[in-house]
Formats: sequence, C-alpha cells, structure tokens
Amino acid sequence: MDFTLTDEQQLLRDTARNLLAKECPPSLVRAHIENPSVADALWERERDFAALADGPLTDLCLFTAETGYVAAPGRFFATTALFAPLLRALGDDRLEATLVGETSGTVAMAGTDGTWAPNDESLKRFVPELDSVEWVAIVDAGPSVRIVPASGLDTRLLGTADWSRRLFELDSRGVDGERRSVDAEALTAVVAGATVALAAEMVGTARRLFDMALEYAKQRVQFDHPIGSFQAIQHRLADLSLAVERADSAAQYAAMSLDAGAPDRRRVVHVAKAAAGSAATRAAKDSIQVHGGIGYTWEHDLHLFIRRAYGSEAWLGTTTWHHDRLADLLFDA
Amino acid sequence: MQLSFGPDVEDFRAELVAFLDEHAPPEALAGYDFADSGAENRGELVPAWSRAWQATLFDHGWMIPGYPRELGGRDATTVQTLVYLEEFARRRIPRSLHFPGYAIVAPSLLEFGNDEQKALVPAAIRGDTIWCIGMSEPNAGSDLAGLQTRAVLDGDHFVVNGQKVWTSYAMVAEKCFVYVRTDPNVPKHKGISLLIVDMDTPGIDIRPLRHLSGAANFAEVFFTDVAVPKANLVGGLNDGWRITQGSLAHERAGLWVEGVSRLEATVQALTDLVRRRGLDQDPGGRRQIAALYEQAASLRALGYKGFASFAQGSSAPEHSYMKMATSELGKAAYELGMQLQGADGATADAERGEENGRWVHMFFMSFANTIAGGSSEIQRNIIAQRVLGLPRA
Repeated sequence: MDFTLTDEQQLLRDTARNLLAKECPPSLVRAHIENPSVADALWERERDFAALADGPLTDLCLFTAETGYVAAPGRFFATTALFAPLLRALGDDRLEATLVGETSGTVAMAGTDGTWAPNDESLKRFVPELDSVEWVAIVDAGPSVRIVPASGLDTRLLGTADWSRRLFELDSRGVDGERRSVDAEALTAVVAGATVALAAEMVGTARRLFDMALEYAKQRVQFDHPIGSFQAIQHRLADLSLAVERADSAAQYAAMSLDAGAPDRRRVVHVAKAAAGSAATRAAKDSIQVHGGIGYTWEHDLHLFIRRAYGSEAWLGTTTWHHDRLADLLFDA
Repeated sequence: MQLSFGPDVEDFRAELVAFLDEHAPPEALAGYDFADSGAENRGELVPAWSRAWQATLFDHGWMIPGYPRELGGRDATTVQTLVYLEEFARRRIPRSLHFPGYAIVAPSLLEFGNDEQKALVPAAIRGDTIWCIGMSEPNAGSDLAGLQTRAVLDGDHFVVNGQKVWTSYAMVAEKCFVYVRTDPNVPKHKGISLLIVDMDTPGIDIRPLRHLSGAANFAEVFFTDVAVPKANLVGGLNDGWRITQGSLAHERAGLWVEGVSRLEATVQALTDLVRRRGLDQDPGGRRQIAALYEQAASLRALGYKGFASFAQGSSAPEHSYMKMATSELGKAAYELGMQLQGADGATADAERGEENGRWVHMFFMSFANTIAGGSSEIQRNIIAQRVLGLPRA
C-alpha cells in the first residue's frame, strides 16, 4: 500500500494548483453567479487536461481536488468525469475529440429522486452544465443511451444553493436519437468513478474551508491573543483537520482501488463519498464558526465554498445515502 | 501510488505467516480477543503460556523484527515492520502481555543506558524480566513533568520518597523505571531523572488498584526512604525528561495498525450482534454501523497514507490523529453495541449467552483508551500546535 505520489503526479498536482489559483480566483466564482459565460475562459485552460479522463482515476482526482479547492465553475467535471467515461464504455467515436478538449458533454441519468441509476423517467434531474456543453448523453433503463446535441432541448435551470455548479432539469420526452445499449456493469463503473472524482473534489473544497479558518485563527486577535491560541478553537480545528485528512485518504484509496479493480471497489466508493461529505459539511460549519461575524457577510468569500460544499454533498448521493448503500453491502451482500 | 507492497515485503509476510501457523499457541489465538472479551483481565496477569510465547518469538527473531538477532529481531525494514504489526493485529495475536519491558524500557536503555544497563535489554525484550514504569502520580497526569516523587543523593545511593499511580504490572514486576525529581529548584522539565529500581527493595509498598470494570492490572506504588544505588541512574542527572519521549521509534510508524484493526473487528462484531438479534433490517442500526465502517476504513487509508511520513521521524505528531481517532471511535462503537440491545444494553447476565455483558464491559474498559498514553485533549493540543502550527496560549 503506497500512497506516495510519483514525480509526474506531483507535477500534475502542482501545475493544476498554480493554474487554477491564477485562472479561477474567488472573483471569477462570484462573477459566474450573474454571468455563467465567464467560465468559458477557464475551460479554455482546463481543456488541455481533458485527457485525464482517459488515464488512471487517481490522476483525474488529483485535478478535481484542485478544482474543488477553488470551487471552479464550468464543464470540466461533467466532461471528464461523466461524459468521456460513458463514451469510453460505449466505444463512441466522439471520445477522441473529447479527450483533446475539442468538444464537451454531460450526462443525464438521475430521475426525480436524484439517484444516479438507469430509470424509466423521462424527466432527468441534476444534469450538470447542460447549457454550456455540446453534447448530452441521456441514460435510460435498459440501460440505453442517446447522445444528442445539448442545444434546443426542453431544459430548466434548477435553483440550488451552490451557484458554482449549474444543475438542470431535462424533459427527454420526444428527444430524437438512436438508443444504444450499454453494458450495465460498465455504466455502474462510470458512476462509481464520477462519484470518487467528486469525493476528491469535495476534499479540495473542505481543505479550502479549513485553510481559510486556520489562516484566520492565526491572524484574528481577541482578548490580546490570536484566537488560534485558545483551546476551544485549537480543538475544533484539530478535529476538523482529522476529518479532512481522513476523507482525503479515503478518496485516494478509492481511486487506487478502482484503477486496480480491487475486490472491495464497491465499498470504497461509498466510503469515499460519505467521508468527503462529512468532511466538507463539517468544514463549512466549523469554518464559519471560527470566522465569526465576518464570515457571515456577502463580501467575504467563505460562502462561495460553503455553497459548493453543500451542493456537492447533495449531488451523486448524500452521505446518508452512501451509508445506506454501504449497509446494503455489509448486511445483504 | 500502488495497492500492494513489493516482493521483499510479501516474502517477509509469507515467512511470518508460516511461522505463526506453526508456532502460535492456542491461547494466543483464543484468549485475547480485541473486540469482545475481557478475558485477559480476568485470569493471571502474565500467564505462563504468554511468557513461553514471547520467548519463542524472541528466539526466532520475531519479537521486535526491526532489531538485530541478538535482540530478538531480524533487521527488518520499516515497511516489513508494518506488515508484521498488521499480521499480528489481523489474527489478534498478542506478542506479549506486558508491554513496558520490550516497548519502553528496552529502547530507552539502548539509547540512554550505559553498558551495564544495556545488558538488561535482552531479558526485557524476551520477557524474562517483567518491568513496570513509574511515571504518573496523583498530581502528575497529563502534566507529567509536574511529578513530585523525590530522589536525594546520599553518598553512593539515592533515597526515594513519593508515590506513583496507574503503574501497570507493578504487582508482578521485578524492576521499575522510576521517574523522580532530583532538583526541585529549576524549571520542572529540567529537574527530572530516571532510576532503575528493584521492586523488592525495602520501603516499596504496592497496592493493587481496581479499575471501574472490576479488574486490577495496575497499582499504586509508595516509596518510603527507598535506597537506590547511584549506578542505577539512567542517562545524566536531571536529564530524565527526554527519556520519557522514548519508545520503539521504528515501530511507532506502524502502531496505528493495531488500533484500526481493533476498531474494524469491533465493527464486524456489531454486524454480527444485530444479525444475532434479528435487527439487521433496522435502518437506524444499519446506518450507524455503516457510518462506523466508513470511519474505520478511511482511518486505515489515512494510516497507510501517513505511514511514509510517519516512518521518517521517531515522533511524528501525525500519530496523534490515529491515537485520538481509534480510541474515540472504539468507545463510540462499544456504546452503540449497548444501544442496539435496547433494554438489555446494560445487562450482564450469563443467560444472555453471547451478549453476556461484553459490550458494557468493553465500553467501560475503553474509557482508558482516550485517557492513557496522552488523553484525547492532549492529542488535540499536539495536532493544533505541532501539525497545524497554531500558537500556544
């Protein structure tokens, strides 16, 4: 069991970190609230990394962790963690253009209850970035897939607390397109990979929230001392850092297990998303508590990341949902 | 990143497994269940089979694998040592039923002792000599450096007066590592020395201390004008504090494995419990057990991930994460085992069969784990100050 990053992985992480710090400052996340097209410029830089969709999941996760750290808006996740892996499962020839960043896409699968499994419902919900990608793959029971242009469809933007990730509703009744069957197991693997990539992303968001709290605790002086010298703050941050480190390790382990086709690959996905969800939501609450009143303001960037944390927690299965699926494997398998 | 170890490590594992299959005594396999038994506290403190087993491990180079042959090892690497600890934890086999000698006294004497003192080490590791450690006092718990047991030099010996408490194995030990105050007029960390004391020296009074589960495996030890030869001073006079930090440095990197394995075994025991009681379709219990499983599994991942950095230094503060988390979660798991039994949660009654009080017993026992060896609060202080770099108040 070796979690050490290779030199190439170290380089990938550093490159992604520097790129996203520069190209996706909080001001861009903020501007995206009113004008989603500001994410186009970010995609112009991110598309160079679209090939990560075809490599080991561990590498894609290194990148999504950094997108989570900056709450990056836009189509990178939908394209690399959902659309491209589905194309690969189908053997679709759009994969090549997707991997070089020439095209982009998203996946519509969950029905009204939000569960990412094939179903008969024509109304698909929680479809990411539907108005900024070129293609949408609509997954139905069977399982079968229709890949159609994303423009000109009957869609509606879902109002969610997280404005950095745009989720849509799609009424797929009457959408033309060849229904192609896809291997059920391969489809499950696509959702599993995307769930782990999201867990890694959420660890990035949790780490951002934690870093902001830690920095503030070292600077903010009350009662003549930095508040970070008080045990009440120290112990809260110590517990939070454990939650973040635990989630980070769980997400990384899950990616390694999926890459290796390890026997426990079903459990590790639920462990990773649940650990990441617990860490991210805890980081959101603890970080604002450490910040006090200033964190409660619109001007402070904290809420951008709090929103991302809760948006991600609700997407691709909540912590509770993943605990329940884990219980199914523990008790019924 | 990779999921498996290299061939040198897996060969090492295979050799260990073959040894355990051939030599591990039935008592080691059956009599020491991490998850669900207090049996080890009900019988003799250090039974004969465990002494024979420890000697066997020593003689075959499997007692402390990172040490050389003459010290019961085989010069194993840090990764091999992790595998060693993992296999013992997986099989729930104890190496020894008295840890102070091999885990604390031996490495401390090897680092700080003179040649005569170093000669005590093989017997400490083989378990031929049982040791105890006199650290805590009634007024020196988390603030260990505040210890007050006095030692005054009088010619060729020290005269020791004071009291130690929570001294594990004091009733059966032949020797004790006693931390004493030798200079009360300097800052507290600078006036502490370490003495080796024979437990049969006149003036030592040992009173077994029952803990709340009813068992007694530690004691209060009173020292009244106890004469200790000057030659028994370990390290320099007033230089004892840094020795308190000593333990098996190369094993510290892997100690988390036992805590995580114990937690995983407890989670497995919880699933067995709800099945036995026909509660395995109860959504609440299922969810709570799954949440514990998630935490144990992610802690194992954290342990492996941190292992590389733990292995670098002898006192990596990241250990505080694993110590705090496994002890706190263990306590929560045992309490959940009680809750899942509803009105039977606090029952200790032989007619209850497998549920005969073991969950409440283990829950009570687990209180010690978040206190001993640095309380959870001390661990949080260490994390905050040494990992996160937060300022001291």
